[in-house]
Parts: sequence; C-alpha cells; structure tokens
Amino acid sequence: MDTNESINKISTVGKIVIYVVLGIWTIVNLFPIYWMFTFSLKGNDEIFGDNMMGLPRHWLWKNYASAMGTGNMPLYFLNSTIVAVATIAIVLIAALMATFAITRLVWKGREMMNRFFMLGLTIPIHSSLLPVFLILKKLKMLNSYQSLFIPYAAFSLAMGILICSGFMGDIPKDLDEAATIDGCGTWKTFFLIIVPLMKPAVSTVGIYTFLQCWNELMFANTFISTGKYRTLPVGIQALSGQHTTDWGPIGAALVIATFPTLLVYIFLSKRIQDSFIAGAVKG
Amino acid sequence: MKMKKFASVLLAGAMVATMAGCTSDDTTTTTTTDTNTNTTTTTTDTNTTTTDGEKTNLTMWCIATESDSNRHSYEAAIADVTAAHPEINFTWEAFENESYKTKIKAAVAADEMPDIFFTWSCAFLGDFVDAGRVYCLDDAYAKVKDELPESMMGNSTYNGKHYGVPLTMNIVGLFANMDLLKSVGYDDIPGTYEDFIACCDALKAADIIPFGCAGKETWCVTEYLESVIEKSVGYEALNDIFLARASWANDDVAAAVDTFQSLVVNGYFDPNGDGLSNDEIKANFMAGKYAFYMNGTWNCADFAANEEFFPKVKVGEFPVINADKATLGQLIGGPSDTLAVAASSPNAAVAADFTFELGRLICKYGYLDGCGLPAWAVNYDDSEVNGLTKTVAAITAKANGYVLFGDTAMAADDADAYLKEVAMVYGCEVDGKTFVEDLAAAIR
Amino acid sequence: MEGIKLMNKKITNRINVFLFLLPALVLFLVILIIPIGLSGYYSLQEWNGIGAMKFVGIENYKKVFSDSVGLGPAIRNSIILAILSTFVQLPVSLGLALLLGKGIKGERIFLSVFFMPVLISTVVIGQLWLKIYYPEQGMLSVLLSGFKIGGKSIEDGIVSWINNMNAKLPIPKPPYKNVPWLGNQYTALACCFIPILWQYVGYHMLLLYAGVKSVPPELREAAKIDGATDGQINKYIVIPQIKPIIKICVIFAVTGSLKSFDLIYVLVAKPKVADVPSTVMYNEMFSANNYGTGSAIAVMLIVLCFVFAMIISAIFKKED
Repeated sequence: MDTNESINKISTVGKIVIYVVLGIWTIVNLFPIYWMFTFSLKGNDEIFGDNMMGLPRHWLWKNYASAMGTGNMPLYFLNSTIVAVATIAIVLIAALMATFAITRLVWKGREMMNRFFMLGLTIPIHSSLLPVFLILKKLKMLNSYQSLFIPYAAFSLAMGILICSGFMGDIPKDLDEAATIDGCGTWKTFFLIIVPLMKPAVSTVGIYTFLQCWNELMFANTFISTGKYRTLPVGIQALSGQHTTDWGPIGAALVIATFPTLLVYIFLSKRIQDSFIAGAVKG
Repeated sequence: MKMKKFASVLLAGAMVATMAGCTSDDTTTTTTTDTNTNTTTTTTDTNTTTTDGEKTNLTMWCIATESDSNRHSYEAAIADVTAAHPEINFTWEAFENESYKTKIKAAVAADEMPDIFFTWSCAFLGDFVDAGRVYCLDDAYAKVKDELPESMMGNSTYNGKHYGVPLTMNIVGLFANMDLLKSVGYDDIPGTYEDFIACCDALKAADIIPFGCAGKETWCVTEYLESVIEKSVGYEALNDIFLARASWANDDVAAAVDTFQSLVVNGYFDPNGDGLSNDEIKANFMAGKYAFYMNGTWNCADFAANEEFFPKVKVGEFPVINADKATLGQLIGGPSDTLAVAASSPNAAVAADFTFELGRLICKYGYLDGCGLPAWAVNYDDSEVNGLTKTVAAITAKANGYVLFGDTAMAADDADAYLKEVAMVYGCEVDGKTFVEDLAAAIR
Repeated sequence: MEGIKLMNKKITNRINVFLFLLPALVLFLVILIIPIGLSGYYSLQEWNGIGAMKFVGIENYKKVFSDSVGLGPAIRNSIILAILSTFVQLPVSLGLALLLGKGIKGERIFLSVFFMPVLISTVVIGQLWLKIYYPEQGMLSVLLSGFKIGGKSIEDGIVSWINNMNAKLPIPKPPYKNVPWLGNQYTALACCFIPILWQYVGYHMLLLYAGVKSVPPELREAAKIDGATDGQINKYIVIPQIKPIIKICVIFAVTGSLKSFDLIYVLVAKPKVADVPSTVMYNEMFSANNYGTGSAIAVMLIVLCFVFAMIISAIFKKED
C-alpha cells in the first residue's frame, strides 16, 4: 500500500512537472502569434520605440486597410494558393510513385537511384536561381504558375521521397504479395493497397511542401514579372520602400498571409493527426 | 547595403563641371554647361516610329513600390506621359529594392529585360553596358540637352556614350536635432571641425549620444567615413581613388581614416548601434536619442512629414577638417537613381524618347515631394518644397565638387572588399594604415 | 513458354519501374541536375554573372578559402549548427513526440500549438527576434539584467566578457554598456542559432509523432503488462520502431543546417559576423558579383551535404 501510494505521488508530481514544461513551451510557441498580431496594429514609433513587445498604445486598424489596399492582396493570396496546391499535388504524385519504384519493385540500381534522389536535399536554392531562370526561359515558361510550381515541386521532391520511403518501408511486403496473388497488377497494387496506407506520409509531405512554397520569395520575385501571377510574399515585400518602410502594414499583411494558414491547419490538424494514427496498420 | 551612392564630379550653379565617367578605362571629359532655368516644356515627338494604327507596347520595371516615397512621383509622371502619348501602351511593375537587384541581374544575364528598367548608375549599370545589353541614348539625349545638363549624365556615361536617364539626386546630409544641440549651448550646427568636436564632447558630457549609425549596415558607416575622408584630403583625391585612377596607398587617406576612427574611439557613436539596422537608428534619431545623424538627403521628406520632429531638425554640411586640401561645398552624392532602355527592346528608339520624358517628370514630382534634388533643370514653381530639401538645394547650389560613393562607384567586387574593410575600421579591428594597405592589395 | 512469360514479366517490370520513376526523374533532371551542371561549369569561370566568362580552372576553389571570402569559418559555423541541431533540437523534438504520442490529456492541442512556429513566415520570426535581441530595451537584455549572481547581473557579466575580448583589438574600442547581441562576433552566431533551432522543433516533433503513433498499440500494451516503465517502452519498443523516421529527421536537420540562410540573413546582415556557407555564397554571387566564386561555394556545399547525408544513412544502416 505504502509503496503504491508513493508511486502515485511521484507520478502526480511528475505529471505536474510535465504539464508545467508543456505549459511553458506552449507560451513560448504562442508568443510569436500574439506578437505578430500586436505588431500589425502599431506604427513605426512603437515598433522601434519603447513598446516593442506590449499591446499597442494606439490600435492602428488602418494598417489592415493599407495592407489590403496595396497591390491586389486577394489575387496574390489566390495565386499563392494555386501554386501551393499544384506543388503539393505534383510532389505527392511524383514522390509516391518514385518511392514505390525504389522500395517495392525489384530491380538493379534502386539503391543508386535512392542516393541520386538524395542529391535533391543538397542544393542551395540561391545557386540555382540563374540556371533555373535560363531553363524556364528556354521552356518559354516565365511569367506563369508553372514557372513557380515546377521548381518548387522539384525542390521539395527529395524530402518527399525520403519521408515516403520512411513510411513505405514499414508496410509489410506480404501485402503486395497477397495482392499479386489476388490478381492485382503493379499499378493496382500501388493505387489500391499502398497509397491508402500512406496517409501519414501524405500529411507530412504535404505540410513540408506547403511550408517550402508558401513563403518562398526569391524565385517568385525573379520568375514572375507581371502582377497577374504575383504571389503573397512578393506582394508583402512590395510594402517596404527603398529608404522608408512603414512596418505596421507589413505586419498586417503578414497576419493576413499567416492566419488563414493557421486556421486551416487547426481545422485540418484533427484529420492530419488522425491520418498518423490511421497509418498504424502494420506489425 | 542600399545603393544611393554615385559617381561624378558635378557642379550645380552656373559653373564648370568636371565630369567623371564610371568605367575605369573611361576618359575624363570636361564640359561647360549652364544649368539654365529653361522655361520651355518640350514634348519630344515619339510618334515617328509607331506602326500605323497599332499601339506600341512599352513595359517598365522599377522599385517604386506602393509604399516607397517615390511612388507618388512615378504615378503622377506616368499619368502625364501616357496622357500625352495615347499611341503608347505603357505597363509597369514595381519590385522591392533589395530583391530587385537580384531580379534585374538575372534578367540581364538571361536577356529577358523589359523595354525600360530602373537601375543604379555607375558600376551597377556599367556591368549591363559592358555586356552590351543597354541601348545607347545619345540620339534621344540630344533632344533634351537643354533641360538636362551633361554633368548630370556623368554617372551613366560610359566611354563617352550615354546610357541612363537620371531621376533625382541625393547627397549626404548632416542632420542635427537642434533641441539637443541647444541643451548644450549650440544654436546652430558647428561650422568648423574644432567646434564640431567640442560640441560632441559637450554632448557626451551631458550624456547625449552624438552620432547614431547602423553598424549592421556598413553603407551607413560609409556615410560618416567618406565625409571625413573627403573633408580631409579633398574631393579630387578621393574621386581618383574611388574611380581606380589612383591607388588606395595614400598616407593622407590613412590619416583621415584614423581621424574617423578617433570619433569611434572617443565614444561619439552609440555602441548599441553595432547591432541595429538603419530603420532602427533613424527611429532613434527621430525619438531624440542622438544629436546627429549622417545619412542621405532622401530622409528630408520623412523628417518633414513628421510634425513633431520637423521643427527640431536641421540639415547641414560636414565641416572641413583640413582646409589646405578641402573646402566647404565638396559633397558626397550625385544622381544614382536611373532609368535605362534595354538593347533588346523592339521599340528601343521610341522607348528612349519616352524614358527621357518620363524621367523629367519623375524628377519634377520627386523634387516637389522632397524625395531628392532635381537632376533636371527646374522650370516650374518649387516654392512648396519642404524646408529641409530647400536647405539641401541651397547647399548643392554652392557645391564645387562631388564625390561618388564608394560602393556605387566601384565595381561590385571592389565595393565588397571596401565595405568589409570599412566594417573592420568601425569595429576597431584595423587602423587607417592597414585599411589603405589592405585595399591597395585587394583593389588593383 | 515459361521463358517468354518470364521475359515478358521482366520487360513489364522494367517498363513499370521506368514509368513510376518518370515524373520524379523529369523534375529532377530539368530543375536540379542541369543547374548543378551549370553551377559546376560557372565555378570554373571568372564571371560577374552578366558579361563575358573567362576560364580560370580551379582558381575559384582556391579563392573561397581566402580571408576575403572566408568559407572556412562559415563551414565551421554551419557544422556547429548541424551538431546542435542533431543533439539538442532533435532530442527535444523526440521527447515531445514521445510524451504526446503516449497519449496525455490535451495531446492534440499541444501538438497543434507546438507546430505553429513552423507555419509563421521567417520575416515575422526574424522581426520578432530582432526585437528580442534589441540592445538594452530588448527582452533578452531586460531578462538577463534582472537575474543577479553575486550582485552582478548576467548581462553585465556578458558585457565585461565582450569588453575583455575587445580589449585585445589593435585599437581600443570604447567599452559596451549593453550587449549588442547581433552586432558583435562573440554573441551573434549563438543568437542566430537559437531561433533556428527553436522554430523547427515543431516540425521534427510532428514527423516523429507520426512515427510514434504508428507503433502498434498492442506492442505497448504487452510491454506494460510485462511491467515495463514508460522509459523502457520508449527505449526498447518505440525508438527502434521509428528509426527510419529519426534517420529522416537527422538528414533533414543536418542538410538544413548546412544550407541555413534566411534567418541569419535577416538577423545579421553584415558579412563576417555570423557567416554560414549560404550567406557567403549569396554575398559572392549577388553583392560582389563574383558568380564563379559563388558557384564554387555552391558545388562544395552540394558535395558537403551529400557526403553528410551518405554518412548518416550508413550509420543508420550499420545499426540495423
């Protein structure tokens, strides 16, 4: 009895410690969101002055009006969304297919191919700016959605394949064999057996890809020269001037760019997290 | 690093201007031009090349983003010019300053430029000209020569040919918070160097920081350093070095750099500034944290727009340090903001005329807004210009020599070496002697 | 008959392999491999990125290690970051993933909140940390000047340490009263690393959490019945099961560290204070217009990342 009680006591203390740690970490991670929001309602005098962290003394809601009134933010938002969705779709299709070929099909050179794809993780994006620009020019693709989502997809692909192979490798091989015996061809096995089991990979790859393309600035600024295809980061950057920058509207624009993704994430997170648990079909 | 630095020795007022070209192999030409106040507004006829019935398409890239202080002048100028030219179908896009540099370089490398593009004069444009990507503007310039003095074209002249249309120009100003100066007994910005130093000492004794400078952005340090060097060795000597006509190995320059460093060592600069950006330093200056702030005169519009701060601020010229070699009126600055025409443009000739017309109006509206000083002749009423910009205009009217800023005048790799060395001087890692030796070795 | 069938099967298999790889291969070749080739070519030229090229052989590769470019210290810095990322950031992420994966109250809320910093743009994160590191009035300075050890605040301690280091400079630099966190070479690097490490904890945590959740619950239950503690379950059951994911995290952390750019560029604009290979490369390519030298750095960075990725893969394979 005594020992049991003491164990319980320790675990209660342990629980408190755990929740305190988690609580502190929660505050640390929520702080940027609070700060971004207050930042968006301040003027330069408060942002650079003695009120860098506190609530705004003057709530400048007009920052939102000037952020929205600059350029064409709704269009930029739409463009960013189109590019992100297309990029995620391409990365998922290409990564799942390539991973299937590498991990499930038997052929010589699959190890080599795996390593080859790893090369994609190593490339510093800035060094490819000019070469990719020249290639896109050759392909007559500058100033279009594909001039962004194709490079974005290529840059996210290596990580996509890496993540997918981490998850696909865990799916027991007998599943394919059973499917083959049941008369499923390679393609049927892929689409009907493997892809449905890859939900956790799909979520993680999707999130990774989204992060890569949503905030990308350099390609978007260089490959797009017409307002029609301009994306959000470029639109937001256009809020700063050569010698003077009014930071409040930039904060407001960043809130406009970030909060929808936060909300979508919160709404989707249950499904995303469910997908992780759904992936637990192995053993 | 913000580009706002310029080449050319130029002369405002009705005097002789020595024009220094930007490429190192360029021959120096001397021209005599009157900065005459021309009252005729010429509308250049650009209609000649237009294909019958069809509109000519022209596209322009620039950095006048919607929150840039130049935005209004671009919009007003474009409205005027497009109204005057219904036969031209004009479209333009604005990009943020820093990322535009990368964008335009990539576009020039790939020969994917718009018809008209914004650029910085001297070395920046020079690389494009060397690559043969820029359309020569000599013919179009001939038509507007009366309104645009040759001296203002110097920064975009390479091997005697004109490649750029200057917009506004700016110099470095010594901005002072008069409230703080008055509190230590100075009613005006000190006119001599001894007085100036005494003033700094008095400020320091009163626990007021004399200078604010963004150590994080080395171009801000050069605003101070280059003024000190110029007022010690004279503008000719400094110009020769910046334009690679003379070696950095120069004892006078080394001594001047030591003079600058003594300002640092004496603790006149805000030590917290080492980790701050120019935006932050400027905000501090406007909040009354520093007595002086040396930076480009483009700040005039901002200071004038702040009702609380405007009555406190004055602008002046850095005092002469060595009167044997330098005089007042030797300034740092010149036209840097420039429009150029792509050689690849199918309508380059039309674009050239159009660009001059546009440039003249951008200059006019920019000057009226207080964004800079006019590179073009002023043939309109400028009485509404803010007081600070007017003071600067008065200073430039008495100017007798300009020095381009190092990081715009020099080729990019030299400018990079220069900025790194300047940062080391400011950080007390090297002295004047090592500074000139290192640069003499790095820049040949 | 059998032979032909087998042949046919082999051919179909080959075609299938090819078709499955096709989309990825096309993307890779066009957007990644050709540019690597071009970078390799540029790295042998003296070129300002615009005008004519001049073949210089391996000159650029020699030049990158000179004092004026300074790739050596930059690589050292990025390796420090990679080590911190692997041995500090990842264990924290793993700890959180294990804790949340075990199933505690509020698991999903914590998971969502911890992931949020990843979703916020680097611009915001950068601006936020600029304010935190603001000298004197910034959060860090205020916090550290509040904590006193033996009558001396932590900030004062750091100030006098930096002033002592600065006293060794050839010219006597006026002493600091406050720490300009991002403005001096002694603290800037560490100050850049903290937000980089912090921001991506959530990402690694999410990846690892997905792994932890895919550990069959029966295994956990069985171990519990056998009297295993949580620690033992994690050590002997969960971690071995999620090794492939840990490998992914390590590769991602290390290559990401070697290529890190954005936050450092926002926080410390000036070269030489907190250089990493990507900032040096960017400066060479786009500020100094030494496109050849920049490309040489790019090629070396690619090789470095690839070698590290291979080493990590090999280590994980060996452990299996």
